Amino acid sequence: MTATIFEIKRFAVHDGDGIRTTVFFKGCPLRCVWCHNPEGLSAKYEVGFYEHKCIGCGECKKDNFEVSDCLGNARVEYGKEISVSEILPLLLEDKEFYDNSEGGVTLSGGECLIQADFCAELLKELKRLGIHTAVDTCGFVSRNALDKVIPYTDVFLYDVKAYDEDVHIRCTGVSNKQILENLKSLNMLDKKIEIRIPYVPDYNDGQIEKIACFLAPLKNITKIRVLPYHNYAGSKYEALNLPDALPNRLPTDEEIKIAAEKIKVITNFVVIS
Amino acid sequence: MYMIKNEDYEYIRNKYHDTSRPFDPFNRFIRRDDLFSSETGMDPDQILAHIPVQDAEHARESHPVRKAYALSFVLKNTRISCDPRDIFPAINMVDRPLREALIEKWKKEIFTNFIPEVAARRAQLENDGIVTMWLDYDHSVPVWDRIFEVGFEGLLRESEAARANRELSPEQNDFFEGIRITYEGVLTFLERLSVLASNTKGSEKMAAALKNIRHRPPSTFYEALLTVYLYFMISEHIDCLQVRSLSNFDRLFLPFYQSDLTNGVSEEEIRADLAYFLMQFTAIGNYWNQPIFLGGENADGSTVISELSYLFLDVYDKMKIYNPKVQIKVSDSTPKSFLLRALDMIRHGHNSIVFVCDNTMRKELMLAGASEDEARLCNVTGCYEYSLRGSYGTGMNYSNLLKPLEYTLHEGRDGVTGVMAGLPCPPASEYESFDEFYAEYKRQLKNLIDITTAVNNSYDEYLCEINPLSFLSATFPSCIERARDAIGGGAVMNNTTMAFGFIADLADSLTMLQKYVFERKELTLPAFVEMLDHNFEGNENFRAKLRADREKYGNNKERPDAFATDIVNFIIETIGDRPNSEKRGGKWGASFHVARMSYTQGKLTASSPNGRLYGEELSKNLSASMGQNREGATAAILSVTKIDATKIRCDAPLDLGLLPSAVKGEDGLEAMYGLLMTFCRRGGHAIHINVFDADTLRDAQAHPEKYQDLQIRVCGWNVLWNNINKEEQDGFIRQAEALI
Repeated sequence: MTATIFEIKRFAVHDGDGIRTTVFFKGCPLRCVWCHNPEGLSAKYEVGFYEHKCIGCGECKKDNFEVSDCLGNARVEYGKEISVSEILPLLLEDKEFYDNSEGGVTLSGGECLIQADFCAELLKELKRLGIHTAVDTCGFVSRNALDKVIPYTDVFLYDVKAYDEDVHIRCTGVSNKQILENLKSLNMLDKKIEIRIPYVPDYNDGQIEKIACFLAPLKNITKIRVLPYHNYAGSKYEALNLPDALPNRLPTDEEIKIAAEKIKVITNFVVIS
Repeated sequence: MYMIKNEDYEYIRNKYHDTSRPFDPFNRFIRRDDLFSSETGMDPDQILAHIPVQDAEHARESHPVRKAYALSFVLKNTRISCDPRDIFPAINMVDRPLREALIEKWKKEIFTNFIPEVAARRAQLENDGIVTMWLDYDHSVPVWDRIFEVGFEGLLRESEAARANRELSPEQNDFFEGIRITYEGVLTFLERLSVLASNTKGSEKMAAALKNIRHRPPSTFYEALLTVYLYFMISEHIDCLQVRSLSNFDRLFLPFYQSDLTNGVSEEEIRADLAYFLMQFTAIGNYWNQPIFLGGENADGSTVISELSYLFLDVYDKMKIYNPKVQIKVSDSTPKSFLLRALDMIRHGHNSIVFVCDNTMRKELMLAGASEDEARLCNVTGCYEYSLRGSYGTGMNYSNLLKPLEYTLHEGRDGVTGVMAGLPCPPASEYESFDEFYAEYKRQLKNLIDITTAVNNSYDEYLCEINPLSFLSATFPSCIERARDAIGGGAVMNNTTMAFGFIADLADSLTMLQKYVFERKELTLPAFVEMLDHNFEGNENFRAKLRADREKYGNNKERPDAFATDIVNFIIETIGDRPNSEKRGGKWGASFHVARMSYTQGKLTASSPNGRLYGEELSKNLSASMGQNREGATAAILSVTKIDATKIRCDAPLDLGLLPSAVKGEDGLEAMYGLLMTFCRRGGHAIHINVFDADTLRDAQAHPEKYQDLQIRVCGWNVLWNNINKEEQDGFIRQAEALI
């Protein structure tokens, strides 16, 4: 069995506890207006072209050109087919760092649970090797997909982007019914859950209190992270020839502070911003 | 400034330099005659003029005695000052007044009369960028425990007692005589300072302390600081011997701190005293930064970290200074909270801190014959070097690992000048396999090691003749016992090290040659050499390919890491335990820091097979070559710790760059801790960290006025960003651009 991934990021520090390696899976059912990983949207192989890095070497004009021949690293491949046995050694390279920082491996994306069978197999192997596992999900997946990974996942990093369905649709293109249902189910199963709320001015900034009220009774939430929207991904849209409709307004520190404080007051959970 | 009153700060800041004059980072200090009354002694010009005159009176004596008379003369006659705005006195003189009249003179005499060929050979090695060597009077650490235990007068008394108890050769007698004259001068100096302070309104605290330490060991926290300061000033700035640690501060000062608190001294006062002490070294502004270290373990294995360690970091952090620089010995018993405090400072840009791993140092020292107790108490000296208490290692032999590669590729000739600097060897066209080529490289490297050790050994035995170290030797119990100078065989260990630079550029170059010439056969070796000789002109694409190739040392890649490890092992085996001079009775060893050689030797090094251009900066320490750490911090640590640091006699440092975004928040701090502990547990030796991103550095280059306080970790010391040249700034920007 193989999966399509677009990046393996070592020394990932903000994708769960400790030092982690994060695997980014290709393909996502959501179309968030603020998406900072557009290379993860399509499930298919893609090549990005970063024009500013082109050194004019001319390799790409040759007949048998492969992306890895690009001397300026201006062309980047997104979408590598990889098997569990191929990916495992790469994830084990930093095992000592996980051990010394209570870290581990995180599966992310895109939406990793689109490739749930592979994720389950990989997570099972990681658990067998004593490695802490985290699954970063948007939650817009079938209950069946979720069930496959639950036994081998130590913590879920779960995105909640809006509470009102119409707002969620405007922000992501899909309804949030299944997302909130899945979250409640996970909570019933005594799984540790870290909630992640992107804060995007003019899109979901009015949802903070409602999200917090929804989360407050969920007893297995370990912490809530408020992620301020940033627009660093602009160059990726250009490289992938995708329309860049990223929101213009960035949140101020003050806005984030206020949002974090509101959530804390309502939920009583640890809130990180 | 934290804990220092504004007017006091202004006074101390200008005490050693006139800060209104242009800043020269390499100048130690500039005399400030206006601070001194002529009633207190001779001015620096008179002192300089009189040194040779008084020396002439002792011309028949041996060097230790003559130097002691000269030092004593300065101590008895130089102008001094006490000022109520400071709790440390001032000394009026040019820096190192004994240097020209005695040390440089004796050096010239010895090099001319006894080893006439050596000076020229040494100069040639340096000018060709092969080995940069100088006489190492730069790394002393007195046995502070002894000074604190018996005081200056006690050291003299004990030396005289040892002298009286035995039959002495004339040389041994002169050793003791040198100490006697030196320390009598020191005591007179303390007397003078004490009298002056008692007559200075507002300097009562200093007066009382000086009076005490004139006769007794220090008894309070402040007296201990004053003792260290005075020892430092006499040794570093008069006696011409760098003091490369102001002590294992928290271990040595804890008893004073505790007894002061018991005696009713407030913590506030202790903080202030420490701040005034640290500020002296900030004001002196030694370019390489003045070292002081914290942490480690006591002889019984318990942690040295105490509330005083935290207090030190807190004061240091709040002062926002980078000089002195701080080393922290990380042991199994070091509390995590202490390391987190230090890491937190580093990520906020206060990164004049290096972590050195106790287990690695202890293992190496015990392999070299030290007892476990002594190994635990080892000093960290200079940047990250380490040594037993009471030892004197020399090591200013910076060699360039790329030069033997130039010889191998050019029939034994230098790749820049064409001079026959290596061993004659076959032309590039004749190597039939990579193994043959690699064996020739090793033969050339061995020759470089042989030359360096021979040149150094030829003057090694004269080190204590050129600059006898009586002031230091009195603090070393083994010197007193053996009646020998610290640098003439008196020290517990007397080793010499050779520093090997640019292992990453070498490992990457070997990898590229093996891959593209011998495996893929994309071009012949002579064609590669031709390309190097033209500095890749016309072959920019091939150079880009070499640069883009990700099989580079420092990324946990098997081949280049194996080359680095193999070369280190070859060096260690080749050096073996070869002896330095008979007089010192020490052994040779290897070290791997580069100081500023990545720039200075880089300028003299031809373009290299990893795509580096002629004259460009070379790799630092045991870190990846410039801009080539593409796999991030964890891979860098995995690569460097494949090298067995317990075989490396002196140091094995790693420079780590981290992005501010990666280390923010609680997660970021925990991650830094995880990196540090993995490095230590995998047997690393020293690690220091720059937290920066390329955009900020580019902005700092364009708008220096906005970044007056931006510090950067160079190679074991910090500088202000605005004080390094554009070329060095560009190097850091390239490093930051590669961060992921």
